[in-house]
Amino acid sequence: MNRSYKILAVGVLACILVIALTPYIWMLLTSFKGRLDILSPEPRWFFTPTFDNYPAVFIDKAYLPLVMNSLVISIATTVLSICIGAPAAYVFARNDFPGKEDLFFFFLTTRMAPPISIAVPLFMFFTLIGLTDTIYSVVIAHTTFNLSLVVWMMRGFFAEIPKEIDEAAMMDGRSRLGAFVRVIIPMAAPGLAATAVLCFILSWNEFLYAFILVAFEGRPLTVGIPGLITPHGTLWGQVAAVAVVATLPILIFTFLVQKHLVRGLTFGAVKG
Amino acid sequence: MAVSFADVTKRFADGTTALDGLNLEFELGEFVVLLGPSGSGKTTACRLLAGLEMPTEGRIEIGGTDITGLPPRFRDIGMVFQNYALYSHKSVYENIAYPLRIRKIAAAELDQRVKQVADLLQIGSYLHRRPSQLSGGQAQRVAVARALVWEPTICLMDEPLSNLDALLRLHMRTELNRLHKRLNRTFVFVTHDQEEAMTLATRIAVLKDGKLVQFDEPRAIYRQPSNRFVAEFMGRPAMNTMDGMVEDGVFRAGGVTCKVECRDGPVTLGIRPEQIGFGQIGSEDGFSLTLDVKETVEPDTLLIFANDEGTITVRTQRDCDDLAAGQPVNLRFPMEALHYFDARTGERLR
Repeated sequence: MNRSYKILAVGVLACILVIALTPYIWMLLTSFKGRLDILSPEPRWFFTPTFDNYPAVFIDKAYLPLVMNSLVISIATTVLSICIGAPAAYVFARNDFPGKEDLFFFFLTTRMAPPISIAVPLFMFFTLIGLTDTIYSVVIAHTTFNLSLVVWMMRGFFAEIPKEIDEAAMMDGRSRLGAFVRVIIPMAAPGLAATAVLCFILSWNEFLYAFILVAFEGRPLTVGIPGLITPHGTLWGQVAAVAVVATLPILIFTFLVQKHLVRGLTFGAVKG
Repeated sequence: MAVSFADVTKRFADGTTALDGLNLEFELGEFVVLLGPSGSGKTTACRLLAGLEMPTEGRIEIGGTDITGLPPRFRDIGMVFQNYALYSHKSVYENIAYPLRIRKIAAAELDQRVKQVADLLQIGSYLHRRPSQLSGGQAQRVAVARALVWEPTICLMDEPLSNLDALLRLHMRTELNRLHKRLNRTFVFVTHDQEEAMTLATRIAVLKDGKLVQFDEPRAIYRQPSNRFVAEFMGRPAMNTMDGMVEDGVFRAGGVTCKVECRDGPVTLGIRPEQIGFGQIGSEDGFSLTLDVKETVEPDTLLIFANDEGTITVRTQRDCDDLAAGQPVNLRFPMEALHYFDARTGERLR
């Protein structure tokens, strides 16, 4: 019984793994394929690898700065979202004030509208203040949707820390702010890390706002990919090369914090 | 140098009045225990002194200085919390050192002071551990060490022993007593356990419904309770109290008859279970009650009698093997052991 259950579990997991990984492996292989191998009518698992796709897109087509743009946008968005969102979440976790739960719900509602519905107003707004086609506009736009995530996730993490810890820090000689910055933040670090990684990933993967707000200078990698669809056909090898590079930071981060990430994502469910 | 609460009232946003015009004054160096049932305002009083709550009305002073509106960090007060509130991301050493680090104490002195207080509390051997690796008693000691290491004027303790098991609680109680004698600092200790209060306090402040009921030495509180509430709250088992009538110097209530030194009229009579004697059948001040339950709590025996007015508990060291439930027993209330309370207000009559 136990043994057959185990075999079944391994089988199911193997299926899921194959379904999840096949596209990724296919993409990875494609990035090392020549044009003929890519366009072959039957799938080719074995071929002579070529490394031409990477320099072709990142150096010849100058996509390397786009990686930098993506990094700057994602990091700036993450830092901004955490810096604004974490104190807000702390207040939600610790203080009572009239309309608290309504305000908290309001944070969630900012994510309920389809992004496309606010894309145009956002564009008009940034045009008005002269920030279109700059990295800043993308950072601010991304912060709008990451902020609610930070507030929602961090409230749970802060609530898990007993309020006596704040008080102990204050009795030990810290101010209220000092207790938050020097004691509570370090104690919530695992949760903070998980939240930051999620922010980073969401911003890194975001396409719509970046596509609408920047055309040239501040273009992130996601916006660069459609540029590889040319009138002469899609440059699949180069698309795959960009996609592989684009997934690298996510892979690295997810491996680094997967333990905390799982805890962070299942948070509400297991809170005792 | 004294600590004083002057007409301190605390009302919370939800409308509950936790403290109602508290007036309390004690000297520095005392071990003051705030005692009361839950909801009596003892923890609120402690938190007001700490600066974690602000009073709605009234003033709090230390040594004549008004500290009412002062944030906790300027009050020179350390605190031990019921759940210890240790910093889980720091080692035991760093937990204890934290108040010193905030005060930017030089490394050599910091190390010396941490080790000194760790030795005092016998936690020197696990300074490198994390709080999660400590038992309840060890965590408790670390919390006390952290509150004492920077030598604050007052050390507050909010039910610090209530999360420990019974044996450890007794042990820590003795330790705290020793610590107070050795350090000669002011301790303010919150508890609902009257036994803890009796053993630790130089003076006990009994609170009820946000008001101070009695503030006195443990012995006086036990022997001269200021009202019926204190009388019944202090002592295990609780003092027997019974409502009855006094006529011509004789008290009568539900089968109980005894001579009293009290004015005639309705009165509440109180007597401690250990002070009830066994009378001779037919003697003048004796009366007979039917034994309901016999409980042996070595070396004592508790005899519980049910009468029309409630129950009367007797605690005795006498051999009670010959007694069985349902049997009549002759009891005697010695006049010198009696307490008299106003039948209506519950206040002590003399």
